[in-house]
Amino acid sequence: MKIKLCGLKYSKNIKELVQLPLDYAGFIFYPKSPRYVGEEFDPAIPAMFPESTRKVGVFVNEELQSLLEKGEKYQLDVIQLHGGESTEYCRKVKDAGFELVKAFQMNESFQFQSLKEYENVCDFFLFDTKTENYGGSGRKFNWKVLEKYKGTTPFFLSGGIGAQDAEQIKQFTHECLYALDLNSGFELQPAKKNADQLEIFLNKLELESMKKDKFAVDQRGYYGEFGGAYIPELLRKNVDELQENYLKILGSEQFRKDYARLLDNYVGRPTPLTKAGNLSRRYGTNIYLKREDLTHTGAHKINNTIGQILLAKYMGKKRIIAETGAGQHGVATATVCALFDLECVVYMGALDVERQAPNVARMKMLGAKVIPAISGNQTLKDATNEAIRDWIANPESFYLIGSVVGPHPYPDLVTRLQSIISEEIREQLEKETGNPNPDYVIACVGGGSNAAGAFYHYLNERKVKLVAVEASGLGVDSGETAATITIGDIGFIHGSKTMLMQDEDGQITEPYSISAGLDYPGVGPLHAHLAVSGRADFLSATDQEALNAAKVLAESEGIIPALESSHALAVLEKMQFKKDDVVVINLSGRGDKDMETYMKHFA
Amino acid sequence: MNRIDQLFQNKQKDILSIYFPAGYPKLGDTLPTLQMLQDKGVDLVEIGIPFSDPLADGPVIQSAAKQALDNGMSLQLLFNQLRDARKSITMPLILMGYWNTVYKFGVDAFLDECKKTGIDGVILPDLPLEEYTEDYQSKFEAAGVHNVLLVTPQTTDKRLSIIEKAASGFLYMVSSAATTGGALQASKEREEYFRKIAALEIPSLIGFGIHDKASFQHAASFSNGAIIGTAFIKALEKGQANEFIGSLS
Repeated sequence: MKIKLCGLKYSKNIKELVQLPLDYAGFIFYPKSPRYVGEEFDPAIPAMFPESTRKVGVFVNEELQSLLEKGEKYQLDVIQLHGGESTEYCRKVKDAGFELVKAFQMNESFQFQSLKEYENVCDFFLFDTKTENYGGSGRKFNWKVLEKYKGTTPFFLSGGIGAQDAEQIKQFTHECLYALDLNSGFELQPAKKNADQLEIFLNKLELESMKKDKFAVDQRGYYGEFGGAYIPELLRKNVDELQENYLKILGSEQFRKDYARLLDNYVGRPTPLTKAGNLSRRYGTNIYLKREDLTHTGAHKINNTIGQILLAKYMGKKRIIAETGAGQHGVATATVCALFDLECVVYMGALDVERQAPNVARMKMLGAKVIPAISGNQTLKDATNEAIRDWIANPESFYLIGSVVGPHPYPDLVTRLQSIISEEIREQLEKETGNPNPDYVIACVGGGSNAAGAFYHYLNERKVKLVAVEASGLGVDSGETAATITIGDIGFIHGSKTMLMQDEDGQITEPYSISAGLDYPGVGPLHAHLAVSGRADFLSATDQEALNAAKVLAESEGIIPALESSHALAVLEKMQFKKDDVVVINLSGRGDKDMETYMKHFA
Repeated sequence: MNRIDQLFQNKQKDILSIYFPAGYPKLGDTLPTLQMLQDKGVDLVEIGIPFSDPLADGPVIQSAAKQALDNGMSLQLLFNQLRDARKSITMPLILMGYWNTVYKFGVDAFLDECKKTGIDGVILPDLPLEEYTEDYQSKFEAAGVHNVLLVTPQTTDKRLSIIEKAASGFLYMVSSAATTGGALQASKEREEYFRKIAALEIPSLIGFGIHDKASFQHAASFSNGAIIGTAFIKALEKGQANEFIGSLS
């Protein structure tokens, strides 16, 4: 069932309402209505709603030319007619390209035959309570009369629906019921809607669109068209076992207690949200840094490994397999394996083993076995292949994946475990500014786990702009890049349907970035969905831009960021912010591991 | 009639199936190798579509696939090479590859080429059964191309009955939990698993770990026959393909 909210007018009020999943937003262009938008109505006000909310203009016996002009001026999608408009008039509105709703006033004696002639010309009917005027009674009519409606044109149910009617609406069934038309039942004063009351009401209706997890994975592991579990039959039992167990375990009280305790006392959470004063002045806005660099092991990766190691333990697993690129996830995995006394095997591209010697040493000191992946190009992609092959050969092992990639349920599992980042941002921001929602959340994306965590609790807050930053290496068109969303197309990698860098023959190509944590040829399916649906903006930063941004942060705030996080910082140069904007950047890791690279460029 | 069905109708025991990647060891080797295998009496051939990231394969097939790609092999080139194969090749032919290559090629175009070149079946290990049955099964059936499905020792009975329903041609019975190229060790449970699958109505071939006459005969005693891949590729590499096939019977 769709929801239309009608009688809107005030921009400040609409600002609160855009977060709700409204399918239609109605503006009344009838001068005698108390909710008339007025002569000087600003076209920017309807445009505040996202494109997914269709804009409806409500008219009563308006002169046709004037109606069409207003339709154009206010970019209306739908025209709703409440007067005695003829079918001929309706036809002309329809021919002008608008969707058409014709309202009819119901009472016990309404003659449904009179609708016949409108059936072919109207997209929808709207059934309102009969009044002396043209609607707006604030009263309900007896919905039982609609049993007599045998037509096929879907209708909007209107007339005095209020917060107390949720149950009755859920009971009411009619095969042509298409939408609810809400107005005066949710007002503080005419045209000023009560957003909180509306939200409670919509929640009570249990609408599909109200489900908090609109960007959550579906039953079969898809985010929109992306995700799934494209795995050989050899892995089916393992993946099924995980699919069946992960939500049960993550939701259990014991897990939540253990996980929270470890995050607090071992990882060092909550991590601070630092107001970056100098950076804010530099960019003329309000910049906050979410300090994942201050966690144990120095990056957000440990949020995930702590959670998965608990899961593995609850599932009775004794041997842990992981893949790693730069070694951050490998170190975080070796760390938790040491803590829980579990055998740990880390696959790492042979080339990366050479490039990231300090992390290899850390893993070894923590007791992990590091196996160089010598297949393919000997980097993260190949390490992941090897880890999966190990899992095939050792189905009793637990594969502890490091990002929001892989077959379902891994993307969802890792997203949930990283969501602590945005959970804390909300609390901290509310304390700091009085509003849990920033204007922007910016995070870098390789596979996408830190971005998934930083975005998670904002996915359904449509006002919060989500910005994902990919590594474009030497430039998106240079052939030496890791900007998957920018240059990739749909494909399948590591068990999931997503965006991917590949050649014309479907061979997966080797990515390049100065940052080992971002050079992955795929991207988590959630991010592919966020990109395609337009929920997040995908930008990119080159090696050089990231290096520059690292230097700026080091010199202005006294923080040396990881090269990965520097990509997120780099887009500050490219974006325009307002003075009162609140911008949160997820500082996913610290730069110690990158000192050699930094020194090479800055010494 | 599909040549795979014909094969299983005419022969129930000791079916020998050989796997090798297209364009390996040299780009132009696909067709000569097929001819040699047919001349040596091989019953069925699986031609590998080389892929950059073959998840279910061990190191030998991986590196053979990489070499084929380095040689310039591609799916389109493979179809071009097979264009005239049916003038002399009468064995059933199967293409084995990963879903990304086929998806990128375009499923309709792929099936069209299969029809044109006389491909009888495909093995796509990472295309999930559910996706196949919902989105593609009717297309494959219309093209007369069997989608050969895998079963493994981990496959549950419940899933086995679903697979059996959707399967066509034969079942590819994976001998053990491993990527390709491992060794096959005899065990009671394994034999039980082989017997369970062999009891199904649909024919089955055993693959993974079959590498010589003894392991072939052992596997073939539980099923309609067996598939040899890695060991054959090693022989190809050494230039002893002919002798290797000869040694199997």
